[in-house]
Amino acid sequence: MKKASAVLLVLVLTVSALTGCKKRETQPAPSAGPAAAKAPTGKVEGKIGISVLTLTNPFFIDIVKAVEDEAKKNGFEAIVTSSEFDPAKQRDQVKDFIVKKVNAIILTPADSKAVGTAIKEANEAGIPVFTADIASLAEDAKVVSHIATDNYAGGRQAAKAMMEALGNKGKVAVLDFPVVESVILRTRGFEDELKESKSPIVIVGKWNGKGVKDEGFKVAQDILTAHKELDGIFAINDPSALGAYAALEKAGRAGKVVLIGFDGQLEGKKAILEGKIYADPIQFPDLIGRTTVQTIMKYLDGAKVEPQILIPPSLYHKADAEKDPALSAK
Amino acid sequence: MAGNRGRMGAAGRRFIADYGMIFVLLLLCVYYSVATLNVQYPTGSEAARQVVAECRERLPSGDAALIVAHHGQDASDFAREAEAGLKAAGVEVAGVVLGDPSALRLELERLGAAGRAPKAILATREAAEWRLIRNIGEILPASSGVSVFCPESHRWPDFLKRNNLLAVADRIVVIAIVAIGMTMVIITAGIDLSVGSLIAFSAVMATRLIRDAAGAANASAAGMVLCCLAAIVACGIVGVFSGLMVTLFSVPPFIATLAMMLVASGTAYTLAAGQSIYEVPASIDRLGRGTSLFGLPNTLILMAVLYVVAHVMMSRTALGRYVYATGGNREAARLSGVPVRRVILFVYAVCGALAGLGGVVQTSQLQSGAPTYGLMYELYVIAAVVVGGTSLSGGQGKILGTLIGAFIIAVIQNGMNLTGVESYTQNIILGLVILAAVLLDKLKQRGWRLRGGESG
Repeated sequence: MKKASAVLLVLVLTVSALTGCKKRETQPAPSAGPAAAKAPTGKVEGKIGISVLTLTNPFFIDIVKAVEDEAKKNGFEAIVTSSEFDPAKQRDQVKDFIVKKVNAIILTPADSKAVGTAIKEANEAGIPVFTADIASLAEDAKVVSHIATDNYAGGRQAAKAMMEALGNKGKVAVLDFPVVESVILRTRGFEDELKESKSPIVIVGKWNGKGVKDEGFKVAQDILTAHKELDGIFAINDPSALGAYAALEKAGRAGKVVLIGFDGQLEGKKAILEGKIYADPIQFPDLIGRTTVQTIMKYLDGAKVEPQILIPPSLYHKADAEKDPALSAK
Repeated sequence: MAGNRGRMGAAGRRFIADYGMIFVLLLLCVYYSVATLNVQYPTGSEAARQVVAECRERLPSGDAALIVAHHGQDASDFAREAEAGLKAAGVEVAGVVLGDPSALRLELERLGAAGRAPKAILATREAAEWRLIRNIGEILPASSGVSVFCPESHRWPDFLKRNNLLAVADRIVVIAIVAIGMTMVIITAGIDLSVGSLIAFSAVMATRLIRDAAGAANASAAGMVLCCLAAIVACGIVGVFSGLMVTLFSVPPFIATLAMMLVASGTAYTLAAGQSIYEVPASIDRLGRGTSLFGLPNTLILMAVLYVVAHVMMSRTALGRYVYATGGNREAARLSGVPVRRVILFVYAVCGALAGLGGVVQTSQLQSGAPTYGLMYELYVIAAVVVGGTSLSGGQGKILGTLIGAFIIAVIQNGMNLTGVESYTQNIILGLVILAAVLLDKLKQRGWRLRGGESG
């Protein structure tokens, strides 16, 4: 039994060493008395818990980095977690935030409906909840403010870029992903802009590219087979645009069909620099992160905050890519 | 006396041999209790009494006080109790603010304009953490002289707080329930990879039935129970099907259940059209979020009942012995009259049905069903079983060991979140812990020798 206990001890010590490597929190303990003056830098004023959809997508990594940075500027500590698409895991993370008594919670819901019970639990504990990028659609779950890209305006910008690239004529296809609210808005913006500016451009159809490269590639191949006269493709994000580009190359039609993407991830920006994608309405994840933290600060200061704050995207062409420091670094 | 002590010693040794992992669990709990030692403070009426007493001592008589509380039940209790307490003590109450910082700011500006600026603020701890109160002199210079009273703190581990311990149990309940069935399957030397997909399938099927057949958001309680039972039965049937593949056609369990995993997941996506189904009554959360006896969550009670039943079945009944015999040596079991095929069918059916129940619990916790539920859960479930000391080669294992294994996983996950370990690192640690547990098990079988050795 001695050996047994020794092995157990080693196991537990290993676990402890591994799990205990993170910082202990420095909890400010303001005394019950007149409110202290603003804390000097370096002292933690409070905590913000954030649970994002996934940390495998650079978009959310940018949001998280901006949140951490902006929180630090305000003397707050950000506690970062990721649901990795599992709404039950996200709810556990919110429960842990409640135990840790964070001052505010930022969520990008793993499921716009299932997130409701987690938000309600935070509401009951008196912790304000903010959503970034993806909205909560759950009823009677109170979200103070939702901060996201103006996807509808982005869709309109994409249509403008398409008209400009095609000389306002021709046939286009849309690589869609109609299960995500933000994407539905992009597509609607694209269609509305073409309609309202009475463009002669015809949309030959919308296909589900599921927002990923391999599916975009397969679907775009079928589109190209079915439509020999196609002039342009609007893909609702960069991965599906790049998948479509691979299909264009394979069909020998690269350069003949104009490609418009969305997002402005590094890979997409590189493709714009190389002329593979004509232009992207680009999102500003860092701005979303910063604005979210600033909104939290405003809220904690007692100022009124808007229930929805939309960050307009902007069109990004090859000329922008040539000047982009993010691309010239390599 | 000596004989008695000897018997007790033997029982103790057997307990340690069967449930040695409980020490790992206890050590983890001790470790996280120390690591999460933190400043705590009372809430609700207790906090109010403390703050009122403090205020009576230090506030000059004749000054008015404002009561501030955040949203939520505890906060309303605080406000009510504090108001009553101040009035009893003869302190003038300038007002009560229940809500968010902007409500307080409006109230302070209004009182200031009316020349009735309060001299003191009695706040819940949560509200006292608002920057508006902490930096009140900077944000509202007019209120700079105000005294803020909030509950006194003491030190206590975050980990050992009642609501955290309940959260630990709550996060593991689905995995622990499914792990009961998995333990039985693994004891027969099988494996069931389909449980994660069955959780999603059951969640989608239950919510879809409620939406389409039981009247959506207006469904009655009986209707919901029937729909959930139907989903559980359907998952049981899937389990029976896997069992038939294993017994009748000798398909390896790994392959048979891998196939069912894909079928169940695909069916879940098809039934739900890739979306989450939320047109269900809000009261569906009775099972997953409600409480009953002594304020204990229903999920916890359900889990405890299932574990007791399964433990008694496996350790006290002929059926339990058949399960062990089938896994220990199938041929020998068959020759000695164990209905091996029916036993295997039974364990896969139970495993499927419990996965279905897990899906129902998850639906209830999240008030909706989606095909994305249960992602990778089969691996967590298997990990819980293996960490709990059940041997993948069959014939050995304990139901309660699995419960301990499930709690070890939950405590590590919760503890890592509380101590702020990154999510990537969390998976690495979890993986290493599972490996260490299995190594420990192997060493135990070899009688704590690193090399060879058959005797134990």
